[in-house]
Amino acid sequence: MSIIHSLTEKEKAFIKSYFAKYYKENSSQIVPPKGMEEREFGFSLFKEAVMVRHIGFRRVEELRSFLVNKVPKDVYYSCAYYERPTEEMENKGWLGADLIFDIDADHISTPCKKMHDLWICKECGQMGRGVEPNACPVCGSTKLNSSSWPCEICLEAAKREMIKLVDFMMDDFGFSPDELRIYFSGHRGYHLHVESEVIKEIGQNERKEIVDYLQAVGIDLKYHPFSQRGSLDEKGWGGRIARAIYEFMLRPNLAQDLARLGLNKKAIANITENRDKIIENWKEHGPWNIIRGVGFSTWEKIAYFSLKNQAANIDSVVTTDIHRLIRMGGTLHGKTGFKKVEVPLMSIESFNPFNDAVAFKEDYITIYVLESPKFVLKDESYGPYKDCKVEVPVAVAILLLSKGLARLED
Amino acid sequence: MKYPFSKEATEYVKALGFSIQDLEKEEFKPILDRAEERVKEALLGKREVRRPLREEIEILSFPVSIIMTSAMNNQVVKRRFADFEAKRITEWLKEENCENLIKVAKSFNWRIRALRGENFALHFVDYLKNAVNFNEAKWKLVNRVLSNGEVRLSKNDVARLLEEEVRKYIENKLNVKLDIELPETLNERVEKLTQIASKEVKRFKLEETPKELNQEAFPPCIKNLYQSVTKGLRVSHIGRFTLTSFLLNIGLKPEEVIKLFTSSSDFNERITRYQVEHIAGARGSKTRYTSPKCSTLQTHRLCVNKDELCNKVRHPITYYRIKYRMLRKGKSEK
Ligand code: SF4
Ligand SMILES: [Zn+2]
Ligand SMILES: [Zn+2]
Repeated sequence: MSIIHSLTEKEKAFIKSYFAKYYKENSSQIVPPKGMEEREFGFSLFKEAVMVRHIGFRRVEELRSFLVNKVPKDVYYSCAYYERPTEEMENKGWLGADLIFDIDADHISTPCKKMHDLWICKECGQMGRGVEPNACPVCGSTKLNSSSWPCEICLEAAKREMIKLVDFMMDDFGFSPDELRIYFSGHRGYHLHVESEVIKEIGQNERKEIVDYLQAVGIDLKYHPFSQRGSLDEKGWGGRIARAIYEFMLRPNLAQDLARLGLNKKAIANITENRDKIIENWKEHGPWNIIRGVGFSTWEKIAYFSLKNQAANIDSVVTTDIHRLIRMGGTLHGKTGFKKVEVPLMSIESFNPFNDAVAFKEDYITIYVLESPKFVLKDESYGPYKDCKVEVPVAVAILLLSKGLARLED
Repeated sequence: MKYPFSKEATEYVKALGFSIQDLEKEEFKPILDRAEERVKEALLGKREVRRPLREEIEILSFPVSIIMTSAMNNQVVKRRFADFEAKRITEWLKEENCENLIKVAKSFNWRIRALRGENFALHFVDYLKNAVNFNEAKWKLVNRVLSNGEVRLSKNDVARLLEEEVRKYIENKLNVKLDIELPETLNERVEKLTQIASKEVKRFKLEETPKELNQEAFPPCIKNLYQSVTKGLRVSHIGRFTLTSFLLNIGLKPEEVIKLFTSSSDFNERITRYQVEHIAGARGSKTRYTSPKCSTLQTHRLCVNKDELCNKVRHPITYYRIKYRMLRKGKSEK
């Protein structure tokens, strides 16, 4: 069995040298966040495992030369704007904050995680696949090492959530496309930054309400009387509820799914037999009273169950934290070597991180791979590997090394 | 002009240009009387019933009553006064036609417009700033029609939200530091009001939290976190924050909380100590954190296994207090 490899000093130096090269060649193109002078910056370095915080920059050049000279592993800045960004939190003087959303494959259940995510217990050496457990099932230790893979399917799932989120932001919240900036996070997800004067000053409680809106937390159908209106293109949650039920009706295993909701046999039969009629009726005013034996409470049950699919699966903690440090666009992710890059709203569908976020040019290097799933990077296919020596482009080497899935060959 | 916060009213007061020392003059006595009465009404929660006074007196007595209330320097009194004055205004607001309602809303810079049939569209930020202070489900944004950045509202909804805006406006005024010497007449009145308050305020003081710890009385969300920690399972940062602040709020010492975390799993003692003491207010900011309310735990999916009693509370601490007393009563009856 393979283990998750911790980087040696030599390997760290190797990765750092390529990060250095990247910043040297590209720092002039790195665009600082809006209102840079009012932001706090934070960095993690290759050497120590601590975060350097409370750094401030007055000019772009200072920031750029910092990146070139220090070569940080990760670069963050505060979503917040401060009067005195370099002081201790209590004295910073909060002026406002961007509205930030983080969509991470870690929070979305995809079947492939069982295949490509690994964890290992530092106490007893037990290994497993899939999402890392709370504690080692063998010895109970919570000291676990894990390696999660930025897989295509997981990233695609995250992208679907982002597209839903953008719809919410534009249709419901009325933001214009130029207030929304989408980024690939550099690892397993996407970020949305809303930079707008309109929301800059709202506090934690208001942001919490926005999160609840997006996730349908606390929704009560009583306030969305879909039996009266209920057309598919209704505004806000009204329309989403109708669409949720509509999509539910299109499920291939409708009868089974209805049974899972605890409907009785009769109701299930009534619905499945009349499926076409139900779907047809949406052209008018919804199917609410047309099926005998299927009343409002049944539709309500289906609605509560299916509306989760209409919600946007975001990290609630990130959005409600008005001091949060977030990764800066154009910088490298220490766990992959990928760039955090902006994804133009128009081309999000075709965006491919394994193409568009690759930071290193084609030097080749030989590494020893302990284990790796199959993947495609810049149109070349790699893996699956298992205990073997391979010659790969630097971008691939850094990805596998950073993930603890490979070693540098001496 | 009847609204004391309206532009006209503030300009009117300004134009008169009187100073606080002028209040000693005989001609201001009716204004002082009315101001004192306003504070007293708020304290007793009762309105004087009689013929309405001259508008001028109503307008001028408002800023004076603000000065009196802030001079009393008591948060509970300030809250009472703000609530009471805001309610007075809601009654007027409910009578207003749509046009005037919009005018009042705009004096608070609301982005609002009228729709057909006494309905309104309000920018979601203006909505949230006020609605977050309400607890009922109907005020949750997710239970509203939100489209293109605007929330659909009825006239009553707008009046209710405006009341909240007014309440905050008054509270802000009350919290402005007074750096002036008050004239004697004013001081005497403040003294009188303080005496009334000291009798009244006791009535609405918060109940004390029980002294001993009773784990049986933990609400389900806290029980769940507590068990995870004692079993040595991983708990998210927000989960640890919730548990820590809860335990500190119900009276555990920082030492005891640190012991709980470090004895049961591999929480690093130094980091845990730092975090716990920070939340307890022993470090840096010196602010002691209050533990999150139910709706926050719901947002972060930490509200689990809700029970009967949960439906009656909005804060895990309230749950604990009630349950604690229920359990105690149960025991003594046996
Ligand atoms: S309702 Fe409140 S007290 Fe009850 S479990 Fe949820 S968060 Fe805890
Ligand atoms: Zn183990
Ligand atoms: Zn996957």
